[in-house]
Amino acid sequence: MMRFQAALILAAAIVGPACAQPVKTGHLTAELVSDKASIAPGETIHVALRQDIQKGWHTYWRNPGDSGEATQIKWTLPSGWTAGPFVWPTPHRQPTGPLVNYGYTGEVLLPMALTAPATARPGQTVTLSAAAGFLVCAEICVPEDAALTLSLPVKAAAVPAGGKWAGPIAQALAAAPRPAALAAVFKTGPVAHALAVTGGPLKGADLAEAYFYPYDSTVIDHARPQAIERGPEGLTLTLALAPGYAARPGGPAKALEGVLALGDKAYEIAASPGTPPPGASGLGPPPAKVAGGGTSLGLISAALFAFLGGLILNLMPCVFPVLAMKAASLAGHGEDHGEARRQGLAFGVGALATFLALAGLLIGLQAAGSAIGWGFQLQSPAVVAVLALLMLAVALNLSGVFEVGSSLQGVGSGLAARQGLAGAFFTGALAVVVAAPCTAPFMGPALGWALTQPPVAALAVFAALGLGFAAPFMLVTFAPGLLARLPRPGPWMDGFRKALAFPMYAAAAWLVWVLAQQAGPPALAKLLAAAVVVGLAAWLAGAAQRRAAAGGRPLALRSASVLLAALAIGAVVWPQGAATELESEPYSPARLAELRAEGRPVFVNYTAAWCVSCQVNDKVAISTHATAAAFKRHDVAYLKADWTRRDPQIAAELARYGRAGVPLYLVYGARGGDGVILPSILTEGIVVKAVDAAAGG
Amino acid sequence: MWRLTRRAVLAASLAGLLAAAGQAGAAPAIGEYAPNFQAIDAAGRIRLLSEFPGKAVVLEWTNNGCPYVQKHYRSGNMQALQARAAADGVVWLTIISSAPGTQGYLPPADALAWKQKAYAGATDLLLDPEGRVGRAYGAKTTPHMFVIDKAGKLAYMGGLDDQPHADPASLKGARNYVAAALDDLKAGRPVATPVSRPYGCSIKYAR
Repeated sequence: MMRFQAALILAAAIVGPACAQPVKTGHLTAELVSDKASIAPGETIHVALRQDIQKGWHTYWRNPGDSGEATQIKWTLPSGWTAGPFVWPTPHRQPTGPLVNYGYTGEVLLPMALTAPATARPGQTVTLSAAAGFLVCAEICVPEDAALTLSLPVKAAAVPAGGKWAGPIAQALAAAPRPAALAAVFKTGPVAHALAVTGGPLKGADLAEAYFYPYDSTVIDHARPQAIERGPEGLTLTLALAPGYAARPGGPAKALEGVLALGDKAYEIAASPGTPPPGASGLGPPPAKVAGGGTSLGLISAALFAFLGGLILNLMPCVFPVLAMKAASLAGHGEDHGEARRQGLAFGVGALATFLALAGLLIGLQAAGSAIGWGFQLQSPAVVAVLALLMLAVALNLSGVFEVGSSLQGVGSGLAARQGLAGAFFTGALAVVVAAPCTAPFMGPALGWALTQPPVAALAVFAALGLGFAAPFMLVTFAPGLLARLPRPGPWMDGFRKALAFPMYAAAAWLVWVLAQQAGPPALAKLLAAAVVVGLAAWLAGAAQRRAAAGGRPLALRSASVLLAALAIGAVVWPQGAATELESEPYSPARLAELRAEGRPVFVNYTAAWCVSCQVNDKVAISTHATAAAFKRHDVAYLKADWTRRDPQIAAELARYGRAGVPLYLVYGARGGDGVILPSILTEGIVVKAVDAAAGG
Repeated sequence: MWRLTRRAVLAASLAGLLAAAGQAGAAPAIGEYAPNFQAIDAAGRIRLLSEFPGKAVVLEWTNNGCPYVQKHYRSGNMQALQARAAADGVVWLTIISSAPGTQGYLPPADALAWKQKAYAGATDLLLDPEGRVGRAYGAKTTPHMFVIDKAGKLAYMGGLDDQPHADPASLKGARNYVAAALDDLKAGRPVATPVSRPYGCSIKYAR
């Protein structure tokens, strides 16, 4: 592509500082710059080919990737003068359609060493000429050439580096990839190379953006993402083979040479064939910093979604009864707006504080290295069991088996049943605790984003969620008009309340089922027994209350009730051995890679028993005839990533797609590529369509 | 509220879809059957690869605005090779996978005019504006060449020659891999260089 211009070597008589004339080639401006104002005989200085590339256009690295061509320079130097090769800065990936190129945008300096002969005559100014050839591309590509010159005075003594370009050249040289104390080996499989790199510089380094740029353009498929696996000593990258690699001229690569880039650092590596050392893997992929699925929510929009999500939570079956009864009871304060307002505030503070406490706990645990996400509180069987009993107690209370206090004022149980402001505060807290599992489908992206942000931003998002959650109730308490419109308390409330007991029974039943999935039949039996005991305790408490109302002193009944309740809770909290759970095709990254290597489309279902929307999706969109038929038609492999119990690998996968919780549905096409994320609320049509598309490539 | 939430979900899924669409299809393997395809030619006829049983077929991806393509057409290099192939009874299909509105895309009438003006000697000029054929073959660049043997198996894929430059001067002394592959096939030899690096402009696929 280079049109080599006949270049003249001019020896001018004027002694001046190094100077060059920038050349505009069309889509970039090129010039030769030097880090010194003059050169001494025998000295080696650094010059650079500087490109100022028009916005939206790029030039190429030494391996241009799938298309394109590397920038070239051809010097015409006086006898005895020598110029070294480019010291290439770490390139960037330039995706264009289905291709990926390696190159540069904006301003880029390609430094080179320049050596004057010992015979250079001081007092002379030499003009060094070079023909530079660029392929500049945006959507289209244009070959551009520049005939460049650099006038450089020769002085008897070497001068220190200086001038406008000394700094940028030094910076480019310092930032360029260089060899380090790294050991690299690679093993070539049927579809990919495993490149294992270990050594001091990788220990404890941030590997989230690790990427291998090969010097040879025929060894890897540049367009495929490079899967990163961390290890205690380094990392392993999975590099898809270049198309036609098996028939590659010269046989399989004898070495993988190139640049390992880690965000801001880059190392030159030369891997030889061998077995990857154990220290290069085992710790899973790095947690994604930015949402992998392109969910680039800003703080404000994330907070907005969180607020909206909070509003929606009020309608959840496990939350609505609590709030409805609380609101109805407030109607009793219809005449006392101040009291209603205080109750509303206390509720809001309770909800907010609980959200923030949960978020703080989550952030703290994440900082301590636990791979957990939102909904984590339901991954502990003990917590699920206690919540199930709590729901049952609330339901029994709503059914009228026992009263809390003497009125309907304190709906809820335990702490939440306390009257007055403390009661309202704990109602808020209780509502949040039971609402948490319902958050995933609505706030997946927002919470996922939040948990990858600095703690302050994360807390802000959770605070917005809490505010949204508390807003309807607080609105009612702060708007006397609305409060006045609420129906007056009366006999109708008894029926209303008993009807609301059933969503709570349902919530309790669901939690029991979650526990059965998590901990197996023995724990289920224990919980069911505990539930019966709680029922008995509630009935005894009710009997005690009735006797007290009749003027008796039911101390024995009351203590029996408390004792039984404590016994029930103690029994379910007591640790037990976990039961095993059988699955036909459980998810693992290795199994996924295997299936994809076979060229089969893969459907991955990230689910958990405690995730209601996951179960709904499963019933209406996945476990259906049409979906099963579509899977069969395209020979789709179905992998289930069960997050019912904590699993760092799955948490990492979720994080990679910008999710903090389940559900997440991914469809991998038969022809490779990233997984397609399906919506969190599925229909049969969405699944079938996605699977059809995946099979079609 | 619902609408907004669903929009967020949709946006996330769309981003995922785009990420997936950013992948080129896997290239077929040397020695395996070349994928059949169907495309409309510049004259509006439906053409299939399977129309040419028992014949060797050359697939050439082109883009008349690409400097690397121009190197081979303005010098007559590509036409000479096409004529040689035709003399040997080899079918030559030139394919344009540029999406409408991108460089190299030609409506059928313009495509015919270009073929005539360039004296292109291809058997037919196929229009693939949706990029289906291109993606099925993992075609990356213009030019990107594929040679299919008489049995329908892929015998060569890669660049036209070993000079990945746009400069016409680079034609001198270039090793033409497609010519070599056709010679090998004609002589009944295995193709000595079945794979090389495709070079040139990226194919302007439909997004």
